[in-house]
Amino acid sequence: MDSATLLARITDYASRPNPYPLYAELREAGPVVQQADGSYLIGTYHEIAALLHDPRMSADPRTRGEVAHKPPFLRLDDPEHHRLRTLAMRPFGPPHSPRRVDSMRGEIDRITRELLQSFEAGRQIDIVDDFAYPLPVTVICRLLGVPREDEPLFRAWSDALVAAADVRPEDDSAEEDKAGDQARMEMGGYLVNLAEQRRGDPGDDMLSAFVNEPDPALRLTQEELAETAVLLLIAGHETTVNLITNGSLTLLRHPEQLDRLRREPELLPRAVEELLRYEPPVHMRGRVPHADIDVAGTEIPQHASVILALASGNRDPMRFDEPDRFDPARPDNQHLGFGSGIHLCYGGPLARIEAQAALGALLPHLGGASLVEDPPPYRQNAMLRGPRHLPIQL
Amino acid sequence: MLESEGGGTAEDVVEMRTVVDLTRCQGYAQCVFLAPEVFELHGEEGLLYATAVPDDQAERVRQAAAACPVQAILLGEEVSSGAR
Ligand code: HEM
Ligand code: SF4
Repeated sequence: MDSATLLARITDYASRPNPYPLYAELREAGPVVQQADGSYLIGTYHEIAALLHDPRMSADPRTRGEVAHKPPFLRLDDPEHHRLRTLAMRPFGPPHSPRRVDSMRGEIDRITRELLQSFEAGRQIDIVDDFAYPLPVTVICRLLGVPREDEPLFRAWSDALVAAADVRPEDDSAEEDKAGDQARMEMGGYLVNLAEQRRGDPGDDMLSAFVNEPDPALRLTQEELAETAVLLLIAGHETTVNLITNGSLTLLRHPEQLDRLRREPELLPRAVEELLRYEPPVHMRGRVPHADIDVAGTEIPQHASVILALASGNRDPMRFDEPDRFDPARPDNQHLGFGSGIHLCYGGPLARIEAQAALGALLPHLGGASLVEDPPPYRQNAMLRGPRHLPIQL
Repeated sequence: MLESEGGGTAEDVVEMRTVVDLTRCQGYAQCVFLAPEVFELHGEEGLLYATAVPDDQAERVRQAAAACPVQAILLGEEVSSGAR
């Protein structure tokens, strides 16, 4: 078929259960494949990795004049990106808070055990609603200092924002963009308000740390606080839910590997890395070149829209041996599941601990379990791809 | 970790050792998040780490090695017999 329609075919909802044959077609046609809408789609590992490290590639939508407001650091370039990522890291990770994520382990295990209490043999449960969604939501709420019972409120905002951020062929998304803008404003206001309540009366949460920073040079402006808090709350759960769900689905599809992990639980950290390669929660990311660039002999003009298919790079046979095989003990697994370069996922260590705890505790329940539907129903989103429900019979 | 002292105990002590290939390490600090007792970030760039891993940190170090984006952390399980 026509390789210029690949993006349209990949983002078509009908491809959600299995986009991987389209990624193979993309790599065959590649490395750089121009699309009917003028964008450039790239699905080969080495080209994607190089572009993620290339300072000429912008993540900022203002580079193409798309939005006026300053986005969160996910979509800023250095040096602005570096400044805000460093400030956001202060209450979360090294060098300022090296023990913060590690100290969540006990609580993550406790939440996991509580959720699994109702998993009795013979019952039908939904991995998404009963397990994979509530865990990361509870964890990120606890970390940021957001009341867990407000979940229905921020779920609606989060849905609208994630829909607006999805990749689609150019670009009939005016309606989604408007709803997304509205949600961003409301959610930002809600989070700033929560933070303001902690001014002068801090808890051990991150919103408290942001508003009570004594050094003016290390303070976020109110606008930056809003953008950062929205980013952390959304990124903190919308992806991790897919990793835990994709993990459960993949293990149920590979009973011999499931058995192996039950016998050798010390393989779990590597199994989670393999899941991030084999069924990653984030399939694509967009960039815009600041200047004309040459990629593997193809000229990409300044300000073009470039889409990097991370999930395709993860299946590139030029980089990975037998890429379509799920191998929890795979050596040399430098996957693109968390991206690479300056935007390498901020929350990766937390997501890893959550996924290892969740899948580790779930393993004993999966032994006699079976999928009720295969493939399961998927979420609409092509960029953040994962099942909407995963019913299993215990 | 200290090896067991005194001669003649039948049990072997398995001690985990780490080496970080600092020419590959890019300072992403993923290891510091996951095993903060073993890996430490010094300033913005430099990584410090303990080569002999205490028993209660072995699982965390295994997680850190799996997570390192450039696979710079090498683990060796050294078996040393109780009587040296
Ligand atoms: C399995 C779960 C997760 C996956 C697969 C994932 C994936 C990613 C990817 C691919 C990127 C790079 C985006 C780009 O290059 O454009 C990214 C960035 C980011 N992630 Fe995650 N993420 C996960 C969990 C988390 C969690 C739990 C948090 C927050 C606690 C988080 C916060 C962020 C932030 C703030 C960025 C922007 C980093 C920057 O621009 O410097 N993520 N994530
Ligand atoms: S995770 Fe790897 S690259 Fe990062 S600091 Fe540790 S050893 Fe270096």
